[in-house]
Amino acid sequence: MDSRAGKSNWLLLAPLYLFTILFVALPILYMFLLSVLTRSQVWGVEFDFTLDHYKRILEPLYLNTFLESFRLAFLSTGLVMLIGYPYGYFMARMNAVWKKRMMLLLMIPFWTSALIRLYGWIIVFRSNGVLDQVLMGLHVTGKPLKLLYTYPAVVVGMVYALLPFMILAVYSSAEKMDWTLVEAARDLGASSFRAFLTVTFKLTLPGLLSGIILTFIPSMGLFFIADILGGNKIVLVGSVIQEQLTKGRNQPFAAALSAVLMILTVLMIRLYRKITGTSRLEGLV
Amino acid sequence: MKKYQWKKRSAGMLAALLAVSALTGCGPKEAGTAGENGTAQTGETGSSDGGAAGGELNLYTWDGMFPQEILTGFEEETGIRINYSNFSYDEDMLAKLEETKGGDYDLVFADDYIIELVIQEGLAQKLDTSRMENYDKLNPVFMSQFYDPQNEYTIPHGAGIPLLVYDPALTDVEITGYEDLWDPALEDNIALTANYRVINGIALKTMGESYNTEDLDVIRAAGDRMMKLAPNIRVINDSNTQDFVISGEAAVGFLYTSQVSLAMSSRPDLKIVYPEEGLGFGIIAGFIPSEAPNADAAYAFLDYINRPENAAACFEFLGYYCSNKAAEEYISEEMKELLVLPEDASEGEIIQNISQEAEDLHAAIWDEFRNACD
Repeated sequence: MDSRAGKSNWLLLAPLYLFTILFVALPILYMFLLSVLTRSQVWGVEFDFTLDHYKRILEPLYLNTFLESFRLAFLSTGLVMLIGYPYGYFMARMNAVWKKRMMLLLMIPFWTSALIRLYGWIIVFRSNGVLDQVLMGLHVTGKPLKLLYTYPAVVVGMVYALLPFMILAVYSSAEKMDWTLVEAARDLGASSFRAFLTVTFKLTLPGLLSGIILTFIPSMGLFFIADILGGNKIVLVGSVIQEQLTKGRNQPFAAALSAVLMILTVLMIRLYRKITGTSRLEGLV
Repeated sequence: MKKYQWKKRSAGMLAALLAVSALTGCGPKEAGTAGENGTAQTGETGSSDGGAAGGELNLYTWDGMFPQEILTGFEEETGIRINYSNFSYDEDMLAKLEETKGGDYDLVFADDYIIELVIQEGLAQKLDTSRMENYDKLNPVFMSQFYDPQNEYTIPHGAGIPLLVYDPALTDVEITGYEDLWDPALEDNIALTANYRVINGIALKTMGESYNTEDLDVIRAAGDRMMKLAPNIRVINDSNTQDFVISGEAAVGFLYTSQVSLAMSSRPDLKIVYPEEGLGFGIIAGFIPSEAPNADAAYAFLDYINRPENAAACFEFLGYYCSNKAAEEYISEEMKELLVLPEDASEGEIIQNISQEAEDLHAAIWDEFRNACD
């Protein structure tokens, strides 16, 4: 490669770097800076260094909020994994025509705003709503249940919103897989289950892992699902941050909460990688 | 080689497409959650370039504050074009004014407590009341309040009293005050609005305390009472809270005045309760930011909406208590009960700004309370 090509490559990459620095690195730095400043009486911040905001996060109330957020994120990610992995796996094994059809089915919901789709769930869950009518019609229940504004309703909303990311990640890694390896394993005497476990699962692990990350990280922040389907009764870190930024007028505390959330998420990802022993992430790294 | 490059490029395009769709996907979500009422679509239309003096009015308030016929009527009569920008939270408005140093907007309508801060920060300008013919039509009950004791900066535009509304068909509990909300028979049956000072205030009122107490021990005791209320809460939502009562999702709602009006107009069989422990009271007022580019247009608009017949139209639309005395006779009979302030209601206590420690404690209690509701 001569130097001219190198230069033009650099020029092509420059906008990307600029974008990353301007819209990713600087805001994060700004957030960390904000988190150690003092809040002014009415609005904004004063340039006095303090770690009080981080100390405040250690109060049981906020620790519990973090715990609650992680609990919901783990639960949603787990369920998404259970449903999304087989879906992506079997989709990859279909013939080309069906692959396209399944992909289309997966994509159609994205043509509508996520918020509107969530409101659709309200129609399903509300008293005397679709689900109630069905259950009562089948004589499973006698009177309308209170399904909306409960924890399960929030989990359903989370799983629904995040499932496509898992399916696509698993699909793309299963699709690329060399299936002759599975045949080889079978030829060498492995049961189909053993072949799946030792060959297919191992080879699709990067897809599963990136699916987990694509699910887990957003689920820490999707507080509007908890607000809409949970009736504001499940407090996640995201909603505390939003509240501190608006009603509380406490930007530094909101920044400190965001910083801790970010650090915890990074640690989580490292943990996942360690447990699964995969360093490659399908489509991400 | 060529094929490979194409693949690479298409991958890049795909990534870009994904990024774009992710961004557009985020837009309405965030607007929806921040706004809650999901009415932020109008977006920011305010611009500061002004144009010819009197040619433009940059109005900044919540969405749906004025009926369309008033906005159009004003534009037709004066030739002034209205740029309507909206915010969801009072705090967003304060942040915006801080950023623009009191510029960009000509007229803002917001809640009492935030206006106190706006004035403190020097972001509002003193009014020349002689420029408004209809200034004397205003109802003095709504003036000279804590945020503007001398009436130097603000013009009231409606007031609200959060009230209890319940469906007698859905509960046997006869509700007369806040205390009844703790009745175990109302388990999972109450819908609340989401302003924590107002809601924690319920507990303070049942203890005979002021909304504005700064005594941390009293606030903590109110917090303990709130935890006992938690099992009865069905849903917490700041916008369209009346819907939960109208649809029967909850038997009782603690609603803002405009929501009470909406609930009663669609379900006259519901019952309104003026809680016996005492009423909360809030005032919406308009002010002109310190560096407003078209203050003249702002005066013209304030005067226009306070013409008695126009004011009546505004309040019938808005559903808040009418702050224009002369307009009361123009309000239709069936709306009067909802829009004309009851005699004893002016005794209500207004929620004011309190010390930072007390405010923080309220916010913490609120988060704990919401968690306990689940």
